[in-house]
Amino acid sequence: MIARLIAALREWTGRAAATAGRRRDDADLERELRAHLELAAEEAERRGQPPARALRTAALDAGGVAQAMEALRDQRGFPWVDDLARDLRYGCRMLARNPGFTAISVISLAIGIGANCAAFSFADTLLLRPLPVPRPSELLVAGQVNPFEDSLESSYRDYLDIRDRSRSFEALAAYTKSTAGFAASVDAPAKLTIGLLVTGNFFHAVGVQPQLGRDFRPDEDHVPGRDAVVILGHEFWTQQLGADPAILGRAIRLNGAAFTVVGVAPAGFTGVDQFTRFQFYAPLMMWPRFAPDAGTRLFEARDDRRLTITGRLAAAVTMAQAQSELTTIGADLERAHPETNRNGRLLVRTELQNRIAQAPPVATLVAMLAALALGVLFVACANVAGLIASRAPMRAREMAMRLAIGAGRGRLVRQLVTESLLVAMAGCALGLAVGAAAIALFSQIQIPVDLPITTVFALDRRALVFSIVVAIASAVLVGLAPAVRAARTDLTAAMKATDAAGHGGRRQWGRRVLVGGQVAVAVVLLVMATFVYRGFARELRSGPGFATDHLLMLSVAPKQLRYSEAQTQQFFERLAVSARQTPGIVSAALTRYMPMDGVPPSTAIVPEGFEFPPGQDSALHASSSVDEDYFATLGVPILQGRAFRAADAAAAPPVAIVNEALANRYWSGRTAVGQRFRIDGPRGPWVEIVGVARTTKYTFALENPKPFVYFPFRQRPADSMFLLARTSGDPASLAATCRELVRALDVNLPIANVRTMDELYRMRSVVVLDVITATIGSMGVMGLTLAIVGLYGLVAYAVSRRTKEIGIRLAIGAGRWRVLRMVLGQGLLMVAAGLAAGLLASLGVGPLLSSIFSSRMKGDARADASAFALVAAAVLAAAAIAAYIPARRAARVNPTEALRAE
Amino acid sequence: MPNRDKARAKADVLQGTLDLMVLQTLAALGSQHGYAIAARLEQVSSGALRLNMGTLYPALMRLEQRGLIRGDWGVTDTSRKARFYAITAAGRRELRSEKAEWQRMTAIMQALLQDEA
Repeated sequence: MIARLIAALREWTGRAAATAGRRRDDADLERELRAHLELAAEEAERRGQPPARALRTAALDAGGVAQAMEALRDQRGFPWVDDLARDLRYGCRMLARNPGFTAISVISLAIGIGANCAAFSFADTLLLRPLPVPRPSELLVAGQVNPFEDSLESSYRDYLDIRDRSRSFEALAAYTKSTAGFAASVDAPAKLTIGLLVTGNFFHAVGVQPQLGRDFRPDEDHVPGRDAVVILGHEFWTQQLGADPAILGRAIRLNGAAFTVVGVAPAGFTGVDQFTRFQFYAPLMMWPRFAPDAGTRLFEARDDRRLTITGRLAAAVTMAQAQSELTTIGADLERAHPETNRNGRLLVRTELQNRIAQAPPVATLVAMLAALALGVLFVACANVAGLIASRAPMRAREMAMRLAIGAGRGRLVRQLVTESLLVAMAGCALGLAVGAAAIALFSQIQIPVDLPITTVFALDRRALVFSIVVAIASAVLVGLAPAVRAARTDLTAAMKATDAAGHGGRRQWGRRVLVGGQVAVAVVLLVMATFVYRGFARELRSGPGFATDHLLMLSVAPKQLRYSEAQTQQFFERLAVSARQTPGIVSAALTRYMPMDGVPPSTAIVPEGFEFPPGQDSALHASSSVDEDYFATLGVPILQGRAFRAADAAAAPPVAIVNEALANRYWSGRTAVGQRFRIDGPRGPWVEIVGVARTTKYTFALENPKPFVYFPFRQRPADSMFLLARTSGDPASLAATCRELVRALDVNLPIANVRTMDELYRMRSVVVLDVITATIGSMGVMGLTLAIVGLYGLVAYAVSRRTKEIGIRLAIGAGRWRVLRMVLGQGLLMVAAGLAAGLLASLGVGPLLSSIFSSRMKGDARADASAFALVAAAVLAAAAIAAYIPARRAARVNPTEALRAE
Repeated sequence: MPNRDKARAKADVLQGTLDLMVLQTLAALGSQHGYAIAARLEQVSSGALRLNMGTLYPALMRLEQRGLIRGDWGVTDTSRKARFYAITAAGRRELRSEKAEWQRMTAIMQALLQDEA
């Protein structure tokens, strides 16, 4: 047994050695076979055969040298390695001999693969890239569904109940984000940072160990406000503290309080958010230090749902089991705490599911880009498949020849697939360049914030692997079917057939359908590009509804330095006053939320007399707290009633200004001014509407009209406010002046978001729209170009195969014009069919785009028709040229020459 | 292609036994070239076993790769150059165990087939 194993091993090492080059060469093997034949002939002669016949008899008996050589070569090395090398060499030769075929195939695939590489990178960055934790796909998110954002959230009390009662999870941790003013020491100026406040088991639950120092201890998870310890993010530790290991045990200051550094998170771990690279991790129990006025309400109130619960399943538990357990716990909580947990469904999702659920427009946009990229890839593959098909008759003779001299059919298939793979790999290499260009374009999209929140578009390993997989898939797609068909060639028929009289009826139909399909896809791509371009241009032209010029902003959050509520308000008042007195500033205003800067805060309102559907008792609407100069400074007109006044102070009757969209929703056809609503739920205080402002864009240039409500900031104070200044000159030149205004009031206060409104609007809207337009537009152009190349190839090929027939037609008196029309007509027939199919499919484009971007993306019927007409005209014109060139060649055929050539 | 398939099937059946035949031949007659081995097998089988070069030489190469035989160029009695194969020590061990295995197997088959009859 062992001897046999050793023998087998020796055979394989022998083979390996032979493959690597230490081998008996072909000549040596052939000498041995010839010697065999000669010895056999010698023997035959001895038996009395004439020498001339002896050798032939011997060869007949012993079989051919060529077949024996083939068998020996197979035995000598690893046949597939040798075969592969031979296939590759042969494939390269074939490709080099047909530079036109190779170039068009490679470029087509490069475009298709590049488009997919770009779409993948886009999807990966915005949606798919896994978190930097071990086994990221297993990380789960649980909590109560927030119906407005479709996010999962939980209160601290609910979290404790879920954690203690559930058995389905390995560990359940909870966390919430918080910003904080960071200073390395007491006298250093504070910087704005962002971190996670986490339960003590957080690192254990996500599966990460601090690289330096220790994890939180269980006892640091019990008493609110007691244990001021912090674990630093690795990047933060490196950039802000010079990667000093001696930092362990020392104190840094967060929001003015000393926190002892107990650990440093491992390099590469940036937290549990896709975009934010968290700078510190502190115990959730330290919450009171991060929101000084909130006290310990977070730990007591079940309706304070700001925590996210995360964890992993316990061994051998399925998602369905975990879900049913959570459903039970949710129902129990609802019974036990009806006033806070009514309709509180508990859900568990994978972390990725959670992301997708929270960003439906992004998910749809990603899906749309992926579909477009697949469309481009389809057109590209159809091109290559068409080219391969047009070479099929020529290859069929070659294949028949190789079959006849003894090649196996499997080998032929492998040879042809190898050729497609070669083309695909070259296409992949070039496609990565296309992808890199697209990624450079995407990289213009950046979130304008001072915090480390980034969207990193990169041609990383995931994108690389994806592109290679796409390349291989397309190689198999375009290569395998023709290869199998070619290898199934009927030997004699193929050998007898001439190039011109191939058996092409069905194959030609296949190619025509392919070209028609290409045109259809290209039409859809183009219609989409036209719609997007037109819609975006219209939205950008109409502007955001407020002024973007001559405006400078900055934001401050005095509570980061532990200001009290009253001190905070006073600080804002004084900041606004000093700004108004500054030369160069025409007017200045305060606002809680700056349009285009992220997600606005929301307030639950209950309009008087409005009947909500059952199960709902209030509506959450975007809101902001602003001062009396806000509307004038930002240039938002008040359409009815009045703007806020300085007199709308804390002691005055509560008032609000709503936008038109909100007024129309609840008081359509009536005057909203003078109406009342409750805030913060059905038992909240009454607020009277004193004005209606024009609806502007709030978060994005393409949003649907969004109901919005403004409160006077003295009646509804905020921790963090923007100062917005209208300048007489270039706003950027006043940045330093405005920073000084803050420093004059408190030198330690971190200043954030210093930028002009032009810049913010450009980053948040114009750039994003430009990038999307450019992406979809270039996909449309690529699709059309590829389809036209495919069409040209098909018509040119048909003409070349029918040269003789055309010659005969001309010889028996057909006019050149007629030939031209015949060839042109056949080409354009496919185009017309493809165009019709494409236009039909395009009817769905408008509704699709309005579901992704904005209901206003959908133009009116007349505008849609003009877009369709434009695309149809472009496609027809391009197709006519592509078909005309070979058709003209056909019409110029010289009958005598055409008939003589054969 | 039915002919090819038949040829392949025959080669497969042979492969297991061919190794044994070659080793036995070399062990009995000493160093031999390929043609002599084929001639010997044809003679022993009274012409029933006519080895194709495409079957014989890969088998020789396989045995050589496994270290059971060793091949070297030499000269025949009639002064022709030929490659001579000799059985190695490992080859003799393999032959012994394969022979025993073969005899055991044939004995079983024999008993079985007689039983059937």
